[in-house]
Amino acid sequence: MSITSADLAIETVRLKIWYGDNMVIKGINLKIPKNVVFALMGPSGCGKSTLLRAFNRLLELRENTRVEGEVRLFGKNIYREDVDPIEIRKDVGMVFQYPNPFPHLTIYDNVAIGVKLNGLVKNREELDKRVEWALKKAALWDEVKDRLRDYPANLSGGQRQRLVIARALAMKPKVLLMDEPTANVDPVGTKKIEELLFELKQDYTIVLVTHSPAQAARISDHVAFLYLGEIIEVGPTRKVFENPEHELTEKYVTGALG
Amino acid sequence: MRDRLKLILFPAVIFVFVLFALMLGVYFYNSMPIFHREGLDIYLKNIWNAAEEAEKEYYGILAAIWGSVYTSLVALIIALPLATAYSIFVVDYSPKKLKNILIILSDVMAGLPTIIYGIWGVFVLAPLLRRYIMQPLHDHFSFIPFFSYPPLSGFSYFSAGVLLGIMVTPFASAIIREAYQMIPFTYREAAYSLGTTKLEATKILLGYIRPAIYSGTILAFGRAVGETAAVSLIIGNTFNLTLALFAPGYTISSLIANQFGNAFIYSYMTSALFAAGLALFVIGLAVNILGIHMLRRWERNVKL
Amino acid sequence: MSSYDYSTRKIKEKAFLLIVAFLTFTMFIPLFHIFLTVFIRGFPVLAENGTKFITGTFQDGGIGPAILGTLMLVVLASLLGLPVALLVGIYAYEYPRSNIGKITKAILQIMLEFPTILVGIFVMQILVFPMGSYSALAGALSLAIIMMPYIAVYTTEALRQIPFTYREAAFGMGLTRIKVVFRILIPMAKRGILTGVLIGIAKVAGETAPLLFTAGGAYQTYYQGITKPVGAIPLLIYQLIQSPSNEYHEIAWGASLVLLIIFLALFIPVRLSLKEVKL
Repeated sequence: MSITSADLAIETVRLKIWYGDNMVIKGINLKIPKNVVFALMGPSGCGKSTLLRAFNRLLELRENTRVEGEVRLFGKNIYREDVDPIEIRKDVGMVFQYPNPFPHLTIYDNVAIGVKLNGLVKNREELDKRVEWALKKAALWDEVKDRLRDYPANLSGGQRQRLVIARALAMKPKVLLMDEPTANVDPVGTKKIEELLFELKQDYTIVLVTHSPAQAARISDHVAFLYLGEIIEVGPTRKVFENPEHELTEKYVTGALG
Repeated sequence: MRDRLKLILFPAVIFVFVLFALMLGVYFYNSMPIFHREGLDIYLKNIWNAAEEAEKEYYGILAAIWGSVYTSLVALIIALPLATAYSIFVVDYSPKKLKNILIILSDVMAGLPTIIYGIWGVFVLAPLLRRYIMQPLHDHFSFIPFFSYPPLSGFSYFSAGVLLGIMVTPFASAIIREAYQMIPFTYREAAYSLGTTKLEATKILLGYIRPAIYSGTILAFGRAVGETAAVSLIIGNTFNLTLALFAPGYTISSLIANQFGNAFIYSYMTSALFAAGLALFVIGLAVNILGIHMLRRWERNVKL
Repeated sequence: MSSYDYSTRKIKEKAFLLIVAFLTFTMFIPLFHIFLTVFIRGFPVLAENGTKFITGTFQDGGIGPAILGTLMLVVLASLLGLPVALLVGIYAYEYPRSNIGKITKAILQIMLEFPTILVGIFVMQILVFPMGSYSALAGALSLAIIMMPYIAVYTTEALRQIPFTYREAAFGMGLTRIKVVFRILIPMAKRGILTGVLIGIAKVAGETAPLLFTAGGAYQTYYQGITKPVGAIPLLIYQLIQSPSNEYHEIAWGASLVLLIIFLALFIPVRLSLKEVKL
């Protein structure tokens, strides 16, 4: 399968990222096609979470970070001077390692808040519809439809994470970034979220960070193996797992590394 | 500017900067006349000549500076052992329920309006101290300079120091207790694993938080120096440059509280009092910077 | 280790516990003595004068104007100090590493420990002299200056308690910084901020020194306008203590009881609702 630029959701060009004087991403060229689950895997500290946060410029929340090179979102370099990161983030939803629905907002408001504050709907009725749609899309609707006015504190870890997914989906993004979304979720919840990703890739491009090769093998179409800030190997998941080109990759997927 | 939040917040920040600069400016500007006239005599002499003719006016607040330092030292002598014992008891010995109550009580004590300490100090504490401590000590030990002054009214450096001690104890307690609680559990384990009793372990751990105790002491000193209402009611308001604990005196803040209201009658008294305020500010600032700096440095070390 | 040695250690340990417990107990004797005395001396005054003590003017044997004055000063001080405090507190949280942010934090810390009498004579100089009179406005300005750093520091702290991941989540939704702060983070921290506001209010409601040369005191009449002198409970107590009259001292005790009740009513609920306070 050959990939042309038009089919790409995200493309990085000679991307380098520093924390202070410490280079953590060392010149990465990565192509992420549309409508796939793309896994970034690697041992902890390899820079995968950092790389993910370069895709929606969330890196800028941290002090002392510096980015060089390009990140192209559907062909457009988001690090150009005239690009407003706020506009980028509306198109790129994010799900975090720790399930972080806002504790002071109800389940309904958690899904509605981004839509409301960004003025994406015209009236209450539309908002209701959007919330219901997002919760259904996140496979959470049936579990919470009778308690939309409850606070997320009473939800399980897996439910909370799906609520965060619904919060992101409600904005109708094109890309969904997921930073180890099942790291703090129990096995049953993990299974549900993994099944959900299968559904979601019909409509979205999903970039998933994981430290578990097994998870990458289960749910991704493409995978990149990141080690000490560099891409060691990238390709279709089956190929990388069954026929790795690089010794390090082989060690990693068989569990002999970190 | 893209960051519109900054635009919203900035006026308030500028306002605070200006206010702060204005406060310093007012103090310096109004102190100038007395500095021009007397130089450093205002701080180095003990003299208070308020006269209708400006030529005869002369002011030196040394006694008040002394009073501030002296009463605060007495306060610390009282506050330090109490605050340390409290911290040990709360952290090491007290059951959880009692612990919460003790912490809340200490906070109530720290927040209690100072005028309530004042009224209690004037009508209860000072007479008690005079009768049961000052008078007996003076009767038997008047050859010691500290006790040489006859406690006529009970309003004295000593009473003010004791009252201040009571008032700043909860403040020092909070700092020392927090430091004591912050000791990583592994050090506690290490101390006990050597087969120590609680007393011995406590000794080791107290050594560990010594810098925090020092900074708590320094910050409590800062508090004591700045306290006004209660002290000015109980200190006797007299210029008295003496070691005698039972003599009435002045502190810088009580001097200002007492004299500022009618200072405008004289040509230089307002300026003298602003110079006194400036001294109070500088002492407070130096003490606080030192205390906070020490505490921060210690906290950073602990977290490593 | 001989058994003798061990038992001496045990005895020492017991003695140490006794001393520590005794000193801790000693620390609180004054507090209870104060509560007791204020109640014993204040209650008869209140009982004798009845509601008149709370509502009446001074010639009717009441401290009504002082209570109203304290209320007025606190409200006015909050109006002046609160908006500034919140905005500055947010600034110190949002830009902690910028130079202005660092200076802001340092100034707040200095102002927090500023002897309050110094604030009083500052306001006298810039407001009372130019206006030619003590006033409620001057008193309130003093209290606002004292209250401001408390509330600002509490605001910064309350915001800092929010885990970073929520900040990421808020920005991740494509919100502007203004919306992130005012619509997500502030509502999240509202409990901590409210605590700071209440602590700040409790603190200034009991202040005496900054009112000495600003509020002026007025106890025969109720509200006369914000440019006119006003009374306050702590100020009244301060002035009554200094009078030679025993009758006035009685009123001072009664006023102290009222002040103590107001303080405890404000402070205790706030204190119980949270783990730590900074005073």
